[in-house]
Amino acid sequence: MNAFREISSKISAVKLQNRVIALFALVMMTIPLGIGPYPISAMVDVGLYSIVTIGIILLMGFAGQISIGHAAFFGIGAYTSAILTTHYQFSPWLALFLGAALSGGIAAAIGRAMFRLHGLMLAGITLALNLVFYHLVCSMIGLTGGAMGLINIPPLILGGFNFSRSFLTYYMVWIIAIVILGFSLNLADSQVGRTLRSMNTHAGGSENAAQVLGINVNSYKVQILVLSAVYASIAGSIYAHHARVVEPGTFFIPFSVMVVIMALLGGLRSPWGAFLGAGLMIGVREFLWEVMPVFVTGVTGAYELIAYGVILILALLFLPRGLISLFGRAFTKRRATV
Amino acid sequence: MDFPNALQIFISGANLGAIYTALGLGFFVIYSVTRLVNLAQGEFVMLGGMLTVSFYKMGIPLVPSITLAVIISGLAGAGLYRFIIYPARGYSRLTQLLLTVGFVFAIQGVALLIWGWDFRSLPAFFNTPCIQLWGATIFGQTPWVIGATLVMVIGLFFFFGRTIQGKALRACANEPLGARTMGVNIDRMALYSFIMAAGLGAVVGAMITPLTMTSYSMGWSLTIKGVLAAFVGGINRAEGVILGGVALGMMEAAAAGMVPGGYHNVIAPGILIVVLLLRPHGILAIPGRVE
Repeated sequence: MNAFREISSKISAVKLQNRVIALFALVMMTIPLGIGPYPISAMVDVGLYSIVTIGIILLMGFAGQISIGHAAFFGIGAYTSAILTTHYQFSPWLALFLGAALSGGIAAAIGRAMFRLHGLMLAGITLALNLVFYHLVCSMIGLTGGAMGLINIPPLILGGFNFSRSFLTYYMVWIIAIVILGFSLNLADSQVGRTLRSMNTHAGGSENAAQVLGINVNSYKVQILVLSAVYASIAGSIYAHHARVVEPGTFFIPFSVMVVIMALLGGLRSPWGAFLGAGLMIGVREFLWEVMPVFVTGVTGAYELIAYGVILILALLFLPRGLISLFGRAFTKRRATV
Repeated sequence: MDFPNALQIFISGANLGAIYTALGLGFFVIYSVTRLVNLAQGEFVMLGGMLTVSFYKMGIPLVPSITLAVIISGLAGAGLYRFIIYPARGYSRLTQLLLTVGFVFAIQGVALLIWGWDFRSLPAFFNTPCIQLWGATIFGQTPWVIGATLVMVIGLFFFFGRTIQGKALRACANEPLGARTMGVNIDRMALYSFIMAAGLGAVVGAMITPLTMTSYSMGWSLTIKGVLAAFVGGINRAEGVILGGVALGMMEAAAAGMVPGGYHNVIAPGILIVVLLLRPHGILAIPGRVE
């Protein structure tokens, strides 16, 4: 009877979660009907950053591994799409899948060696990998256009719709983001998610204990790294077709640090945190760039940077467990199943 | 390769190695006391360079200009610790790391407000002319860069190895509880380490400005160079940072002289990847003391 109750409560929790996802999707799909083109393009940014950040949350919050190098995977996606579609006239969709496969392949190749390191040193090696990617892109001028980047990237096309218009890009980005969210939430609830938490020292688990129980700890870490690399790569490909230009500066350390900030500010406990973190950081950025010039005239950009820094510091100081900690059971209920 | 060419590469390697070392030492000072990697270290370097240029252009002689820049940067370092890191002392290291990133944005904004977008430069210290040596050319600033780095290195060795204050600082990271029972005020020591690192950073900023110029946004790239040097050699030992800095500088200069295009930039992060895979805490690091 007890077991039955447990199972039924679990089923209802899953149902609740699915309803929340459906509601979220409904809200996100109706938003563009009410607002103009400028906020739409900011929302496209939120969606793209969220996709990358979901991967970071799985990697950091569930597998307990840090990366300050995901700009490289974002960049691999963007550059694969850009190079294949401009130099070789590939279909953008095929390029997107090839980019994701390449990112995943690279992540699988480096993951096993990389995860011999922990904590700070893992952060260091991912940072170095990001630097290697950046400088290679800057140097391979024939292929990547070097520091000038690549231009005239074709937009994504689906059934005659041309995704260069920001409304259509918005829908595509957010549909993909929500599909990825649903997949990640299910993964977090599955046997994989429980295994990951059991080996994550930050979530009260123990790597040694997991290993003693026969869990191949390294293989799980690598799998999550591959998944997060694929997410980042998909976002990168969409970004390339959306912006129509790529240049190496986008794929440098500040991007990698920003997605970690978004993950932490949103909350590492649940993939939902990605949307909160990305929404907060992009929202603050857009708000400041829009509102600050009204109040202060002077050097453009300076007051925005100061305010941005101060808000980031305050958010981290007062919400160390992320925005998700402000929300109720629907978002964080999987704590109870650990 | 002929001799003048090799000598030229060696000299620029020594110069680059000194810069890498000097940048890395700032990370070592804070890490060895607080176990924190301060991603705002490059901003102190930027601040030091900018302030020195400003004071120098006001007509203040060079040495007092640098001194003022060091004092102001030191105060900024104290502010970073007291108002941002100290309130978060119980938080995870990652949160503290990202708090320093928040400080980076804020300080860049302040710098942009004061100095604008322009690049600024200084003449070589005391207008030292270029030196011709066996067919190689030494830029006038290079001896000053290498000399200042040597002075920093010797000073740090003396301070951490020979003085009771230096030993108290190191004890905070090695044995926090033990240090406390011996009456060491850990928070005070952490504050000192931030002031010291910020001051060292400001000196580095002043000494590299004649070579590289300075602008409000240069901090990130310097932070990355310092992190590479500190991680390659081992962030918890001064010897490690020196070895890492010199090795990276020499290798990068050699690569820049021999490899065409921008590929030499791949050398430094490439070395870090290889080193970390072979020695997971850096070449000279004491294992178990890096987290």
